[in-house]
Amino acid sequence: MTNKFFLPSLLFILVSCSESFDIDVSFGSSDSVYQGIDNAFESTYIPMYSQPVLFRSANIYDGLGGEFLDYDLLLSDGVIKEISKSISAPGVFVIDATDKWITPGIIDIHSHMGVYSAPGVSTSSDGNEATSPVTAEVWAEHSLWTQDPQFALALKGGVTTFHVLPGSANLFGGRGATFKNISRNTIQAMKFPGAPHSLKMACGENPKRVYGNRRQSPSTRMGNMAGYRSAWIDAVEYADRMNETNEDRRPKRDLALDTLMGVLNGEILVQNHCYRADEMAMMIELSKEFDYKITAFHHAVEAYKIADLLADEGICAALWADWWGFKHEAYDMVQANVAIVDQARNGTGCAIVHSDDPVGIQHLNEEAAKAMAAGNRAGFNISKAHAMRWITSNPAKAAGIIDQTGSIEIGKDADIVLWSGDPFSVYSKAEKVLIDGAMAFDINDPKIQPITDFDLGIIQPQKNRIQ
Amino acid sequence: MKGFSKNILLLFLTVHVSSETILLKGGLVHLGNGEPATPKDILISDNRIASVGKNLIIDGNTRVIEVNGLPVTPGLISPMSNLGIVEINSLDVTRDDESNILSAGFSIFNAFNPNSTGIPWNRSNGVTSAISTPSTSFFPIFGLGSYFVLDGSLKVKGSKDIAMFGRLGSSNESRAETLAILESLLEIGRLLENSTVDEILNMTLAEKLELQSADIIALGKVVNGGMPFVLETNRAVDILQALSIKQKYSLNLVLASVEEAPMVLDELKESNTPVIIDPMDNIPNSFDELGSSLNLGKILDEAGISIMFSTQRSHNYHLMRQGSGNAVAHGMSYETAIQGMTDTVAKTFQLNDRGSIESGKFADIIVWDGDPLEPSSFPKIVMIEGELQDLTSRSSKLTERYTNSEDKPSSYKH
Repeated sequence: MTNKFFLPSLLFILVSCSESFDIDVSFGSSDSVYQGIDNAFESTYIPMYSQPVLFRSANIYDGLGGEFLDYDLLLSDGVIKEISKSISAPGVFVIDATDKWITPGIIDIHSHMGVYSAPGVSTSSDGNEATSPVTAEVWAEHSLWTQDPQFALALKGGVTTFHVLPGSANLFGGRGATFKNISRNTIQAMKFPGAPHSLKMACGENPKRVYGNRRQSPSTRMGNMAGYRSAWIDAVEYADRMNETNEDRRPKRDLALDTLMGVLNGEILVQNHCYRADEMAMMIELSKEFDYKITAFHHAVEAYKIADLLADEGICAALWADWWGFKHEAYDMVQANVAIVDQARNGTGCAIVHSDDPVGIQHLNEEAAKAMAAGNRAGFNISKAHAMRWITSNPAKAAGIIDQTGSIEIGKDADIVLWSGDPFSVYSKAEKVLIDGAMAFDINDPKIQPITDFDLGIIQPQKNRIQ
Repeated sequence: MKGFSKNILLLFLTVHVSSETILLKGGLVHLGNGEPATPKDILISDNRIASVGKNLIIDGNTRVIEVNGLPVTPGLISPMSNLGIVEINSLDVTRDDESNILSAGFSIFNAFNPNSTGIPWNRSNGVTSAISTPSTSFFPIFGLGSYFVLDGSLKVKGSKDIAMFGRLGSSNESRAETLAILESLLEIGRLLENSTVDEILNMTLAEKLELQSADIIALGKVVNGGMPFVLETNRAVDILQALSIKQKYSLNLVLASVEEAPMVLDELKESNTPVIIDPMDNIPNSFDELGSSLNLGKILDEAGISIMFSTQRSHNYHLMRQGSGNAVAHGMSYETAIQGMTDTVAKTFQLNDRGSIESGKFADIIVWDGDPLEPSSFPKIVMIEGELQDLTSRSSKLTERYTNSEDKPSSYKH
């Protein structure tokens, strides 16, 4: 009955985050012969049906720091077609957005939806392959449950895209993948087309606790470091041998080393769960030893202590607004963390507000509001338009999908939220959520509110779980 | 209950007498009692609210603080916290919320650490007092919660053992068994009417349940209209079971979580049972709470049920503001939300000198820099028992260090 871990999900904290990335990834460069993991489990996503939509007289945060008051926005063919003061588009479906706000669809870089589905019972606990400290061979998407009721709740909070990571029990937890938040009953049909995989790595307390309790390595932070280095040594050797021109001399394919090799080749983005500043600096040193790039540190409660270093290295920090105290490495929380990271080196830092939580993902706008207010109390001058980046374009950058989504720019995916009012107010709601120009959620139309198989008749047979 | 009055155990151990008389002038004052906010002045003297109104008469020694129309509320009271008894959740050696020996009689009062870092943090965020509770180590009753004033005084101010806490719901055992154990425990409480603690200790039932004297004494205090009994439960039919037990043992019942309450709204309303909810928790986390939704607060409010707020996570009990703000966004009345963080807690737990801005009560008052239900708002003034509190916390010290380049440690600098 003992419930020492008040926050069970936190014990499986993950990390992810990456940097601007060429989406058209092909494994194996021109001088490498190995064709690697080919196109296994590729996205089969097809956008929902859409028709052109014109939002009239909207206030817009473009997700890049821009603010447009009383503008028209035209979506067509699933993409953003035009933003201007007055758009003429005869015959197009018009939505009056007067006094309302439009933002890019919200993106969460750190989610376990589908791998820690609701209800949170043992049979749905599919996020941590906690059987060995190095499980780079597992893929979070292979655990995903398409009927997790949490997806639809996140959609109501304006979330159009989310990155699902394995848990943080292991030094190398496996691959993460990015999804569009639409109802589909196959995993591949939800996968964000062209989005790169990530590799989840974890620092600190979790791996050393999980394996230390079993009297195996790692049981210390130095054990963690030794574990990473050993694995990278293997990966470097594997990558070299896989590049042998004589196919007979190549080793047998190894799923874990395939993933690590993908990181060394720059094709897989490292999302690194890491709380403490000194450990993050150590992980940066490790990445230099083996010549790979860390895209983002996740849950980086102490990122503010090395904000300059993160900006210099071009590493994002994916952060909570105010969680703390559940673990020792989460003790030095400051609410200005996001703002300090963001403002480092003349505002060149990459800050992200993430959730790691099925409730938090529904309120990322409120979390960003808290972080912004705390930053401004600490002496910064951060506008709402700027803070919107933390939950849109910056996570898109870290997920390697910034060329497709994360901002309101001509030609990008029409992933859009229409808010009833100021998107940073607790009283505002996402009224309409569009994904690739298609209406995925409408607060006023029950027919455009996804209901999972799970929700059907589960309490009373005549009703759905949520009316 | 023999000799047990509602206010027994209400031990205000010390009362610091403040010499300063303060006028908070021109605030938009939420009294906390459910009335809409209006512009008012508040005169504070000798730790307490002397008067509330307009154009109050003051003497030359009164310090006047201009509030300039900012929102003013009573200090927030968390009805269910770990403040002062858990420093870091994952470190057992920093936790004092569990007992391996006691169950219903386990009191956390003497473990309270006024120097815990959570206290200045929550205080600077507007939480001026809190009920701290034991954790769920024993099922279905895990002990007694105490009330604490969060002024950081080493002479701990509060009320010892003001409520009993328990949980009914999914576990690895059948809930039929849990209910049977719960009833057995309450029966034992009743036996105290005609038996001594020693007599009960020798009974087979007490032995089987491994009860200690303190458990039996505590159980005697919760039956027959005694101290509040806070039972966390979610499933609709479990709520009905709890209400029936309430009637059978004349419990002063408070239900917590109640995510499926809308399905048994009439019975809940009829029973006059206050509730503690987390309005943001709409996740069907277990098969007990499939009916979880963001509309819970609105539905309970419309039924006229007394509502208080818990938070999803430890350490940030002020986030009940964000929770109640979300409840208002989904239809709860604004003043119910304010009341739920202040006066409703005081009334439910008989904290008679707290919870509202009313003459004669302790001056626990917050002046906010904006709408207190907006998560981005923050206190400008925190007053506990008439004393202006320093808003410094360990977190604010760290912020200051790392935003002031001269003070920044040189570990990484160019």
